[in-house]
Amino acid sequence: MNVDFAAGDCGTGPFTWGQEAIWQTIERTWPDDHYFNFGQVLKLPRARHIREVAAAVGALVERHGSLRTLVAERPGTTRALGQHLEARGRLPVEVVGAAPRDVLDKLAATRFDYERDWPLRVALVTEGDLVTHVVLVFCHLAADGFGAEIAVRDLRMLLVRGRVPGPRPPQPLELARWQAGPEGRRVAATAAAHWEREHRRVPATMFAASSQDAARPPIWRALLASPALDLAVRAVAWRHRVSTSTVLLAATAQLAARYGGHRTSAVLPIAANRFRKDTRGIVSTLSQEGLFTLDVDRPFPDLLRPAEAAAVRAYRSAYHDPADRRRVVAAESERRGEPVHPGCCFNDMRLADPGPADCPPERLDAALEQTTLTWPLSQDRLNCRFCVHVSAEGVSLTADTRYLSRASMEGYLRDLEGLLVETARR
Amino acid sequence: MIRQRLAALVEESSDGEVTAREAMASGLPLSALGLTSIARMRLIDAVEAEFGVEVDLSEEGLAVLDDLDLLAARLSDR
Repeated sequence: MNVDFAAGDCGTGPFTWGQEAIWQTIERTWPDDHYFNFGQVLKLPRARHIREVAAAVGALVERHGSLRTLVAERPGTTRALGQHLEARGRLPVEVVGAAPRDVLDKLAATRFDYERDWPLRVALVTEGDLVTHVVLVFCHLAADGFGAEIAVRDLRMLLVRGRVPGPRPPQPLELARWQAGPEGRRVAATAAAHWEREHRRVPATMFAASSQDAARPPIWRALLASPALDLAVRAVAWRHRVSTSTVLLAATAQLAARYGGHRTSAVLPIAANRFRKDTRGIVSTLSQEGLFTLDVDRPFPDLLRPAEAAAVRAYRSAYHDPADRRRVVAAESERRGEPVHPGCCFNDMRLADPGPADCPPERLDAALEQTTLTWPLSQDRLNCRFCVHVSAEGVSLTADTRYLSRASMEGYLRDLEGLLVETARR
Repeated sequence: MIRQRLAALVEESSDGEVTAREAMASGLPLSALGLTSIARMRLIDAVEAEFGVEVDLSEEGLAVLDDLDLLAARLSDR
């Protein structure tokens, strides 16, 4: 079936910084860019008629411009891409009777045609005549994880109350205008100064040497599900009065430097960039990479306080204009006569942080027995050599085995667990 | 006045997890009151936007940000 939508706003403009950043990443990953598709399943509090749910989906798309925005050439420019917001359109919606998770995987399995496909795929999962679940799959240009959360929350409100209370949410075209204006440029200049300063001292890349043991396909993901690591992170954060995210980032950075053979670590943490009032409620992709640098040649506990401050600076630098970053990277690469890019990123995707908490050693020991390591993904291309993701499922490492073999990937995750558990035990 | 306004920004940045009243009354570091790292990032933006300053993001600068009285004193000395 199709859902028609008709909103009051339309227009064309430059990408926001977040859209520009994910667009560059998508282009570098093509044709494996379906990697960035992701979705959510909304279980309805009670089953509803198809037409009711379809109307709510239409209202959701009308409310959030991002969900009816396509990539387009900007008028008056040659080959400069930007965002084009359509007021009206027709969104295809599948009606299926299958397991919601399978439906999500199927909808997410193919890449979006960014200039033609609406950036939202929807399926209504039915039992008999009634809808029990709504499956939403997002193109990463339309939303990041936090943006998708807002969309799902609003869809639930539209179904339950028929409207979403509160003011109209901010829209990507407005954000792009703010970013290009004087206040946006001031923020961009501060961030650019950080990128420039820190680039002077980072290794050209964190994993430069060949692993001599490339797998086929070359990109693999190892997932460590470790209740012991989770407990240890909270305990270390509690003991050293830093955030759990800082503990994970500092450990990731120190071990990456050890495996790559460096004293200074450079990691690109992905920040939600939803710190400002004008960005908190927006459905869009705001998350971008910041630059985290730290001299890691010292015991791990001594790293934590400096890592906390370095993390704040890195997360601040994530709200930047990708054009500034390109300029900084090109200048530094030219100065050194070799390409400079850490090739090492960190994404703390946990929507809820359990927070610091002490843990007795015997509980850590008991939890260690539950650790599992699996290999859930492999593919041909990725825009990075080394990506650590933290989620409710565990800590995963997605790496290019031409630089870090599968055995080393597993060793890295086991060492990460060991470092954190040992530190928590002391 | 600055102290009160800062306490209100703490409440806003933390989505009410740390109330203005708690921030004013406790004398404890804001992080000890439960100001998360995301709330702290929001507070930095809010202080910069409202007071027209650039928050010092060194270890020492963040220690000031964690102490309502110190932060208020620094801002009134500007």
